[in-house]
Amino acid sequence: MPLVYANMPMSEVVEEHPSLIPVINRFGIRLGLGDSSVKTLCEAHGLDTDFLLVVINTFLNEEYFPEKKLQTFHTSQIIDYLTKTNRYYQRYQLPNIERHLGLFISQSTPGNSTLSLIGKFFSSFKEELTARIENDEHTWFPYCLSLSEKLEKTTTTETLHLHTEQRMEDPIEALLADLKNILIKHLSGDYNENLCYAVIFALCTLEKDIKQHNRIRYRILKPMVDAMEKLCI
Amino acid sequence: MHHNKQIAIILPDMLQSIGLQTLLADYFSPVEITHFQTFESFSASENEHFDYYFTHADGFIQNADFFLPRRNKTMLLIHADEHNLAPNATNCLTLRASQETILEQLKRFLTTDACTTTTDTNKELSTRETDVLQLIVKGSTNKEIADRLNISLNTVLTHRKNITSKLGIKTVSGLTFYAIMHGLVSGEEIGI
Repeated sequence: MPLVYANMPMSEVVEEHPSLIPVINRFGIRLGLGDSSVKTLCEAHGLDTDFLLVVINTFLNEEYFPEKKLQTFHTSQIIDYLTKTNRYYQRYQLPNIERHLGLFISQSTPGNSTLSLIGKFFSSFKEELTARIENDEHTWFPYCLSLSEKLEKTTTTETLHLHTEQRMEDPIEALLADLKNILIKHLSGDYNENLCYAVIFALCTLEKDIKQHNRIRYRILKPMVDAMEKLCI
Repeated sequence: MHHNKQIAIILPDMLQSIGLQTLLADYFSPVEITHFQTFESFSASENEHFDYYFTHADGFIQNADFFLPRRNKTMLLIHADEHNLAPNATNCLTLRASQETILEQLKRFLTTDACTTTTDTNKELSTRETDVLQLIVKGSTNKEIADRLNISLNTVLTHRKNITSKLGIKTVSGLTFYAIMHGLVSGEEIGI
């Protein structure tokens, strides 16, 4: 997929990729984009254009992941973005799936016990994701930030030696994939087709977002923190 | 979860190779493609895990020892145009043909052999796999399952892998859901 560049009109970019709307919203950019270019909008909103572009492009292309470039951004920028994605999951995407799922279960045949099980499965997924978000906000992110502040006082060089480890399976992604697969492969009995599609569509949207969040989390933030830890010892 | 087709492209011509890679990635994903400019660099890589090979006729002839036994998995890029090609030549890709013809040729090549990767048509769990599944959802560790069923730890791992690939479900929560849905365990047994 072609990359998005600073001189492109944001409206054209969004027209081509409407899935970016929640992403730019996270940065405070709202619709009614007019003809402004990506760069102009970033300047108007006091945003780092390079950072926004990397976020947009990694969101659109799973294969595009400029690790070197991402590592040049400040820890706080990265944490800020991850925090915004977390909030978006909590405030919008989880409730959205829940709403569709609730309707899907109640409007399908009441006797279909598979569906209420799917409801329970979703609840356990939601618990897991919520727990991770809370841990991020209260423990892990503050810890990462304190490390980076500490280092800024003592060292001036930005020579962090990053090692990206072999990434482990992320439990959140695995649960989400299972939930989707269960609906697609193992659904049985009578059910409302239209609402089922709405549920799966909402799950896929969340999955795409979480995959990008996780790429940044495991391939950028985690190695950064590991490297900072070594310097602090 | 999907089996990625492992593809080796052994061609000196960079543009040809890039074009081929693009077509394969665009129309036949998931694929994992490795490009080698020479047969020597290919053999130096010592990678035996390719499902398909693409090369030109000279390369095929010069390294017939390698390619002949793999001729069903090898596609040759040839300069003939589509009209003077024998219609049953399934493993030839005509460089000058239209994109539609090329895609058709690729499709025929990549899908005839594909049945070997999906020989496992039996998606039902075996009795043993069902036993393992029941223990997994009751919260047993692999070690406990091995002891309980009197099988080795490795066998447990193999069963788990097969269960996951048959059902398309990885997590314990997902497997629990499946087990309850199919009456393999009751909700009470595991406290749901």
